[in-house]
Amino acid sequence: MRKARLRRTRRAGAVTLASALTLTALAACGTSSSKDDDNGSGNSANADPAAPLDPKTKVTITIDCMPPAAKAAELKEWNEDVEEFNKTYPNVTVQGRSTPGQCLEPPRFTAMLKAKSQPDVFYTYFTDLAQVLDNDGAQDISAYVNDRTVPLLKDIDPDVLGSLKQDGKLYGLPTSNYRMGLLINRKLFTQAGLDPDTPPATWDDVRAAADKIAALGGGVAGFGEYSAANTGGWHFTAQMYSLGGDVVDTSGKKAAFNDAIGEQVARNLHAMRWEDDSMGRTQLLKWGDLQKQIATDKLGMFLAAPDDVTYMVQQLGAEYENFGMGPIPGGKNTLAGGNNYMIKKGISPDKVKAAVAWLNFKFTTVGKGHYDWRRAKADGLPVGLPQPNLWLNDSKAEDDAARKRYATMPVENFKAFMDNPVPGKAEPPKAQEIYKVLDNVMSGLLTNKDADIDKLLSTAESQVNQVLATQ
Amino acid sequence: MPAPTLVQDPTAKDRRPRLPRRTRAGAVRHPDAGLARAVRRNLTAHGFLIGAVLCFAFFSWYPIVREFLLAFQKTDNGHVSWVGWDNFVTVWNDPAFGQAWRNTLWFTVLALVLGFAVPFLTALVINEFRHGQGYLRLLVYLPVMLPPTASVLLFKYLYDPGYGMFNEVLAVFGLPAQQWLQDPDTAMLSVVVASTWMNMGGATLIYLAALQGVPGELYEAAELDGAGLLRKVWHVTIPQTRLVLLLMLLMQVIATMQVFIEPFLLTGGAGPEGSTTTVVYLIYQYAFNFNNYGAAAALGLLLLVLLAGFSAVYTRLSRSADD
Amino acid sequence: MSTRTLISPAQLARPRGRLLYWLAFAVVVALFTLAFLGPLYWMVSGGLKTTQEAVQTPPTWVPGSVHPENYRRAWEVMDLARLLLNTLYYAFGALAFQLVLDVAAAYSLSRLRPVLGKAVLGMMLVTLMIPATVLVVPQYLTVLDMPIIQRNLLNSPWVIWLPSVTNAFAIFLLKRFFDSIPRELLDAASMDGAGPLRVLWSVVLPISRPILGVVSIFAVVGVWKDFLWPMLVLPDPTGQTLAVGIYSLATSVPENVLIASLTIASLPTLVLFLVFQRNIMSGLTAGGLKG
Repeated sequence: MRKARLRRTRRAGAVTLASALTLTALAACGTSSSKDDDNGSGNSANADPAAPLDPKTKVTITIDCMPPAAKAAELKEWNEDVEEFNKTYPNVTVQGRSTPGQCLEPPRFTAMLKAKSQPDVFYTYFTDLAQVLDNDGAQDISAYVNDRTVPLLKDIDPDVLGSLKQDGKLYGLPTSNYRMGLLINRKLFTQAGLDPDTPPATWDDVRAAADKIAALGGGVAGFGEYSAANTGGWHFTAQMYSLGGDVVDTSGKKAAFNDAIGEQVARNLHAMRWEDDSMGRTQLLKWGDLQKQIATDKLGMFLAAPDDVTYMVQQLGAEYENFGMGPIPGGKNTLAGGNNYMIKKGISPDKVKAAVAWLNFKFTTVGKGHYDWRRAKADGLPVGLPQPNLWLNDSKAEDDAARKRYATMPVENFKAFMDNPVPGKAEPPKAQEIYKVLDNVMSGLLTNKDADIDKLLSTAESQVNQVLATQ
Repeated sequence: MPAPTLVQDPTAKDRRPRLPRRTRAGAVRHPDAGLARAVRRNLTAHGFLIGAVLCFAFFSWYPIVREFLLAFQKTDNGHVSWVGWDNFVTVWNDPAFGQAWRNTLWFTVLALVLGFAVPFLTALVINEFRHGQGYLRLLVYLPVMLPPTASVLLFKYLYDPGYGMFNEVLAVFGLPAQQWLQDPDTAMLSVVVASTWMNMGGATLIYLAALQGVPGELYEAAELDGAGLLRKVWHVTIPQTRLVLLLMLLMQVIATMQVFIEPFLLTGGAGPEGSTTTVVYLIYQYAFNFNNYGAAAALGLLLLVLLAGFSAVYTRLSRSADD
Repeated sequence: MSTRTLISPAQLARPRGRLLYWLAFAVVVALFTLAFLGPLYWMVSGGLKTTQEAVQTPPTWVPGSVHPENYRRAWEVMDLARLLLNTLYYAFGALAFQLVLDVAAAYSLSRLRPVLGKAVLGMMLVTLMIPATVLVVPQYLTVLDMPIIQRNLLNSPWVIWLPSVTNAFAIFLLKRFFDSIPRELLDAASMDGAGPLRVLWSVVLPISRPILGVVSIFAVVGVWKDFLWPMLVLPDPTGQTLAVGIYSLATSVPENVLIASLTIASLPTLVLFLVFQRNIMSGLTAGGLKG
């Protein structure tokens, strides 16, 4: 009797214990603490942030946006670079994380920042600085970056570095930059009787060319535009810039696209879609969709950054001879953007130094890492694209010469783009939120034959004003 | 995630009389021993319960409370402040607010016409056959087993105005090509068709089960009165399955108003000119695109109040189904 | 079929009735086959086409040339093996947690009846009234920084497993079933000196097999089909579920490879369903059904 009772009590205890264990386990393992950050091992012998990393330092850094297995050549180069880097810094472990799709998708990025789950070195767009700082996610690395740690610092385009600075403090290093231009499919241009070496330079020319290309039939579109996943708004902004317009006024508090230029952009798109039927029937496209179309010769031209070509060749099996590029039609301003790596706030000084050393080796050294064009050619990657190009002065001359020398693609296809530089213009504040709102303008224009253009613009204007007001 | 069901009312009273717990073999016990036993019994019982209760506390009860708090708060760079009804005003003044409710309503109406009527008619038809019932049931239920992302992306492919299957099928019958998802007028309908295809299997099976319960004599009696096919359906089948129909209707409304993945993947969420922006998508957009949790919570509360109303009706009905 | 349905057997027995019956039968079978297998055929065959052919206007019904290597490419490029394993890991973990914690809770509420048990059950059932999508935002904020234990659950499997336990419907189903177990059976067991855990294990669970089956199917299917929650709480691409992973990769592969990957993603459950269709369909109708 007594024994039975005892056993029962023990059982009850066991159940309680099991539950408690569950929770302890939950608290202990498999999760990251929201409080503390792990610090790099090894005490820094050199406390001066301005000094380069001591080669003896033993430290591990994690970094995202390593090329995925699908980008075999780029992954191979990454691994080679890590090996090479380890010759100088044998005790630094570079732990890459790869993303099979796009490295950065805004909702996922937001979640990552909220969770503070970014790796030590994390990939961002030029437009992300404000959001990262709102979440207290990036380290001020001004003290760590100088001509000893990044020798070519003086030759990096200050516009590019500017996007990484706030209040004079530097928060990251750039990996690539772009100025938007008009990417064309040379095969379709030739078939339509157009000259692929002189891409259309005005929006009227674009319209006329699109009409001719669409006349080829078989589901071919002349000109393509996005209208979903924030990319519609991004390109609407680019078109506004191309005609000298803006989406946010200089105060940064009011929408500025509901004007004559905005209407011109809207009317032109609407006319191409509905009067000429030269923009294809499938809309609600987002980044990646137009690339798929032009890679399969279903699209004549669209606004893009030059490095889209790399993407199309590698992931979509396109051939680079087939593409060419001109400056953005209109040519007043062009949207300039790019990508950086930022460094997570709160990691140890040695980790920061290791991160700066690695980023410098991989992305800001002419002739090395990303700029080792000889190797890129040997690996069958496109060489000869005008961008990304961070350089000025001697570095530019040296890098341009190397690009030309190892070019794997006809550089002259990009001559129009190179010879007619358009001033770059940065993206608006709260870019992703504004783009989301402007998606609706794009989708309205491209899917509704009877779209009320004035109403689309004024609705978007009031929504953007609201976005800008909530700070 | 839990969903309302057809089974009896959750809150129904346990009707078994509660007898005082018997002590083992009816032995006479000292009062102290009784107390100790009660404590021990409760300890055991709570030990069994604690795991689930903690999960509910963390992932259900606390978030519910937080939803109410959030709706009246504003978060600025980690600083929380109380803002009264401001979030509701923000939500109300958003041009997308009216549109989202209209779209959700329209979606619900369409989902009722298609998502509710089609499975019922399907069940009605399948039930008449003396052959191949198993095969037809299998077909209808097949899509339910696919991962929803796969079905939705497949439909996106089928809907493509250029290379999609649907326009090709229309062409076979000499019908004009459609823009499907690409047109503000047909986008929502296309979303509902895809959603119905994906989800109708479950409802069809339930209706089939309900139809098997209709007594055959009633049909015979109706025939003696000279009733035709339609009148038999109207006067016998529908009244006999009325309760199941009503419950499914409410369930459909509750589920439909929460739809997310179909518009999100088919039309990027907002859709042509915002024509597939639903209330749930707007909540998502506030929270995860605009970082405005307050507005998301405020809009969520409005939806909650509405759906809780439906749920209450549902519970009442299913209680009467139990009796 | 012995049950009498809408159309009278007498009518059907007539030659004209029989003709109409077979005609209607043929039409319905053809229509259903087209409506439900047509899209699946388009999916399987689309995955076999070349990139060009997959986006050709007008499309082709039969692939001009067959390219099974698309499937291999989809498997490799999209890392489908990992996505599948992730999903199984989450699904069966959730199943284990639900079976242990929810069964224990239902058993306690049904048989052990602790003080305040009624109130706890009531509070659990109230959560059924709250639409899941409304709770997504506060739930998300909660897992970002768990109260008391101060942990961030994002990207860990707990963030799928533990919330899956809050399935009031499963607890309700289980409790109802346990309520219906004859008291004598349990009393006899306790009489032999068995503690509650032993009674649960050797008496209650064996006779509860059908309801455990239903709850298990719901648990696994729930994780398998969920999209919004895993998309938000598993941002790390290496830890994503199949449903979310395919979505995030959709734009970065050619159309034919994407379609091939959809076919691959559909296969596991489709095969399971075809093998166990009788059990699954009867289980689902018996347990009441969610959409």
